[in-house]
Amino acid sequence: MNYSLRDRAFGIISYVFIGVFALLCFLPFWMMISGSFTKETELILNGYSLFPESFSTTAYTVLLQSKLLWSSYINTALITAVGTALALFISAMLAYSLANGRNTLRGGMLAFVYFPMLFYGGLIPFYITVSKYLHLSNTLWAVILPLVCQPFLVFLMVNFFRTLPKELEESARIDGAHEFNVFIRIMIPISKPILATVALFYALGYWNDWFMSLLFIDEESKYPLQLILRRMVSNLEAAKSLIPSNAGISIESPLLGVRMSTTIVTIGPIVLLYPLLQKYFVKGLTIGAVKG
Amino acid sequence: MTLFDGFLIKTENDEYSTWRRYGSLGSVRMSQAILANNSPAIAFALSVLRTKEIVALKNKIMESYRQAFKSPFLILLAVPGLITLFIFNYLPMYGVLLAFKDFDYSKGIWGSSWVGLKNFEYFLTSSQLFVVIRNTLLLNVAFIVSQTIAALAIAVLLNEIRIKWFARLSQSVIFLPYFMSWIVVGMITQSMLGGQNPTVNEWLIQLGLSEVNWYFEAHLWPWILSVIKVWHGAGYFAIIYLAAITSIPEDLYEAAKIDGASRFQAVRKITLPLLIPTISILTLLLIGRIFNGDFAMIYAIVGDNSLLFPTTDVIDTYVYRSMRVLNDFGMSSAVGLFQSVMGLVLVLAVNSFVRRVSKESALF
Repeated sequence: MNYSLRDRAFGIISYVFIGVFALLCFLPFWMMISGSFTKETELILNGYSLFPESFSTTAYTVLLQSKLLWSSYINTALITAVGTALALFISAMLAYSLANGRNTLRGGMLAFVYFPMLFYGGLIPFYITVSKYLHLSNTLWAVILPLVCQPFLVFLMVNFFRTLPKELEESARIDGAHEFNVFIRIMIPISKPILATVALFYALGYWNDWFMSLLFIDEESKYPLQLILRRMVSNLEAAKSLIPSNAGISIESPLLGVRMSTTIVTIGPIVLLYPLLQKYFVKGLTIGAVKG
Repeated sequence: MTLFDGFLIKTENDEYSTWRRYGSLGSVRMSQAILANNSPAIAFALSVLRTKEIVALKNKIMESYRQAFKSPFLILLAVPGLITLFIFNYLPMYGVLLAFKDFDYSKGIWGSSWVGLKNFEYFLTSSQLFVVIRNTLLLNVAFIVSQTIAALAIAVLLNEIRIKWFARLSQSVIFLPYFMSWIVVGMITQSMLGGQNPTVNEWLIQLGLSEVNWYFEAHLWPWILSVIKVWHGAGYFAIIYLAAITSIPEDLYEAAKIDGASRFQAVRKITLPLLIPTISILTLLLIGRIFNGDFAMIYAIVGDNSLLFPTTDVIDTYVYRSMRVLNDFGMSSAVGLFQSVMGLVLVLAVNSFVRRVSKESALF
């Protein structure tokens, strides 16, 4: 039996399998894009198709006039920006402290940070704590604060900080630098790769979160994008709330089209930033998650 | 050395080690308790101990205390993080008391009256319980199996691809769904399978098959959810496996090639056996979480569609619904507590098992 022939067959199988799987992964995205540019009448008649017969941008022009979309977009952007900055700050400080051998309370602190990964108080007590005792309902803080310090990401950073040479810190301290300056001027700049990775993890978490807002946010003006979208998944008519009454659509409200265009607008920033996201995610996964 | 070596600090000084086992925080707490507390009981307990020992003990405690404040900046750095963890992760743990109470929102957690195990009784005798637990376990098993197989296939075959741009492009596309929120996934599912004439049905008709009323057929949903899970997460696991594959020394393959092995044989005899540690660790970690239903995924896709509950309702969605719809806080906290405890036991069991097999791979 000719081995090189067999190898070639195996190679072809690899290409076909990977190619087909990649196409299947991409297919839903393509359907959404094409759906968002299809005329409503065609969508109602034929459903979503790979190549629309009639091209239309109504779903987008209508959406851009929607006040609700803009307010939810601003909410999501605010949650992501403030949340990520705060989370990165808090987690990096905690991780640096946990990774430092001179922190004598380190053993207890590590256990304290680790335990929540093992035991969860439960949804109900969590809900009551945030809404009844902290009074955070219907504020964006209810979405930001609970996700601000995630043990898994903290440990990702602890792992990284531990790989930094001790001498770096020691020599700076011997030269008379205050610990604060050592942290800000030396440790933060050389940790940029891991900070970027963790920041992206947090940012993605905030952008995609809908559970916290589902639990705590009832006022429509405080809705993030994901909640607007969620309402449309279960209820087709909900798309109507996004269409302004003065949009001048007399024939047919583009409900199906608006669902698709809202989805595209929601995932837009992720897809645009994807090359960056992917690079750092793969790094984070392969360096940090494989424990040292 | 494992990641969480701080959990159990090994000190040379044996006398000291019992205290160190609880970490320094433990010893500080203890010291605070002993030093600050003037209660007669403590005084009596202390008088029983020999004075010399007490002094030695006290000195040791003060020493670890003093050392902590040698680096106050480091302690200070940790404070904001520890406080948020305390508020959002530890305070709710106190709420597990709810499982033994008849919760009254106005009275708060402590003020509500005790009902003993009544909440558990309700839940243990309800017919829902069995269905919900079964669904949680079965769905998770289905997810673990399908995702692992798909991710392995992707990783192994992606590694065979020699055209650089093709490998990079397809890896990017396969990883992309992982970045989509479950709401977006729910929207996609709804557009493909729902509505007046679902897109997938159009395809079925073109293939000469009969239409399916997707949102009425509960028995199909474990399969549908597994497919969605593979679509969403296989790329993520494939990257972990791919990283493991690239760490396999190249000379193994070269030696195999010289011995006349085909690529397929190399995959079967070298790649797969060497991946077994990674596979088993990832799988064990997933098994440790098998009692946790994926709320974000299932609620985003199935929502309140009660026709599908027989096969898709998991513990987490059940708890959420009892809270939001039925307003039954007591029973749902009982279910939640049951789940948390089962989860904890399982994680600890899995971890001790992993540690016995391979110490490096254990969580702690």
